[in-house]
Amino acid sequence: MNSYQRVMNTLAGQPVDRLPVFAVLGAYGGKLTGVDLRTLFSDASAYVEGQKAVQAEFGFDLVLTAFDYSVIAEAFGGEVVWSANQVPNMKRPAVKTAAEALELPLPDPMRTGRLPMILEATRQLAARYKEKVPIISALPGPCILPSLLMGIDQWMEAVLFDPELARKLLDYTASFHVAWANALLANGADCLVLTEGMASAEIVPRKIFAEQGLPNLRKICARIKGPKVISSTGGRMNHVLDLLPGLDGMVGVIAGSRDDLVEARRLLGPDLTLIGNLDNLALPAASASEMYAMSLERLRSAAPAGRYILANAGADIPQATPTENLRAMRKAGATVSAELGFGP
Amino acid sequence: MSSKNLSEELLTAMIHADRAGAADIIERALATPIDPLRIIAEILDPAIVRLGQLWEEECMSLAQNFVASKIAEDTLLRCIPGDGTKQPSKGAVVIGNIEDDFHSLGRRTVGLFLRAAGWDVYDLGNDVPAEQFLEKALEVDACVIGASAMMQTTALNIRKLRELIDARGFSDRIMLAVGGAVFNGRPELVTEVGGNGTARNAVEADGLFMRLQAKVQKRVTL
Repeated sequence: MNSYQRVMNTLAGQPVDRLPVFAVLGAYGGKLTGVDLRTLFSDASAYVEGQKAVQAEFGFDLVLTAFDYSVIAEAFGGEVVWSANQVPNMKRPAVKTAAEALELPLPDPMRTGRLPMILEATRQLAARYKEKVPIISALPGPCILPSLLMGIDQWMEAVLFDPELARKLLDYTASFHVAWANALLANGADCLVLTEGMASAEIVPRKIFAEQGLPNLRKICARIKGPKVISSTGGRMNHVLDLLPGLDGMVGVIAGSRDDLVEARRLLGPDLTLIGNLDNLALPAASASEMYAMSLERLRSAAPAGRYILANAGADIPQATPTENLRAMRKAGATVSAELGFGP
Repeated sequence: MSSKNLSEELLTAMIHADRAGAADIIERALATPIDPLRIIAEILDPAIVRLGQLWEEECMSLAQNFVASKIAEDTLLRCIPGDGTKQPSKGAVVIGNIEDDFHSLGRRTVGLFLRAAGWDVYDLGNDVPAEQFLEKALEVDACVIGASAMMQTTALNIRKLRELIDARGFSDRIMLAVGGAVFNGRPELVTEVGGNGTARNAVEADGLFMRLQAKVQKRVTL
């Protein structure tokens, strides 16, 4: 059974030879290949070489397109800040107010900025890994996407004090979101991860997500023609998990690092895959034995119920994370697979 | 209705991110014989303190905190006398996001709470170079500079501000408060960037700035 079959079987609730394990390692590829991050996140071939190196080094059950949202901020006209050891970030948004954002031209996934480079990397990953290792693409959730145009504070101001303007912005950005998501799928992504910040307990309370976020998420999910996983990039999600089953094409959820996995499974029901939820901040700081113990704890609490994938909860894992810590995740996966009697 | 009950109602409005409901509560309080300044002390302040406790217990979201800061600002504008009478100021402070940092929501919220607590706040905005922080602090005679950063990469730029304050010989006169999401996740970073202290949230900022001001006063007296 290869990684693709293992993950697809997990999503379908079918038997697997061992528990799958994910780790979000985009920038880490640059560390392994000795490529600076500006090149890694600007050059499709350099990025794909990084993913090949990550796959060869650790054998996690996925390859990733770049988890780099500065690409989208930049495509709308924002400025990017490049770093020697972290994924590039938005330095300056394209506009200063929510009202101005409505005037921005929508980017073309095939032509604008670095968007075509991401699609090219997706094609290259597909050429090498299709039906061998799942190709996963992360993109911002539709309800947090407007923050990349104007900054999170202006977006929150609109959501909280001008819901009509917020709704207009969600409608306005929806066509780009759908086009980008479907372009990733058309170019080879097997599954999309929508990192929906508005689903995080740290960002907004349940009521705001339920009233303003969820209806939009539901509409957008129906227009994206492929499987989707919802994440809050590490923030707690259990407060809204019961609202998510039934979204069109949704196959799983990445739990926040402080969410209780047993409770998450209860809220989610049996039909969706639960992924997570190791803390990104712990990964570089912990020892390999601590990482092994943390991984075992997650696996033992969530795997017996089925449809579970061990993974980190947040975005890109820091480059400073020792390789032994990442191997400890795989080792824990093997240990619990044996305990639960998985096998060919 | 007692001040305690109104304060509890105000807290509930903050928790529900209900700015209009909060305004209504303050209007009802103003319709009673209570002195407007007592509304701040007996209704607003206890609600803010309790809000801080809820934040510590991780029961509050960024949105709730943001609305609460707006409610605090609304209440102050409504209750502080418009006849030129002014509450005594606690002093001047300068805040801003450090060079290359553009995540302003936390800083703006801190600014609102500091103003609510009686500080003269000079908010320099995003992407502020070290030199500009110090220049403004000297101009307005601020005892504390508050530098905000969301990410580790930008937090490290605060070191430049630390070095500048030290190099110019103002380390006894100007304290450096640091804050932002990255400091909550990695508290050791406060020392790494040369901060004199941090607050986990906007509500705690007043207490931190008071402590840092007291340090300055003690050092200057010595």
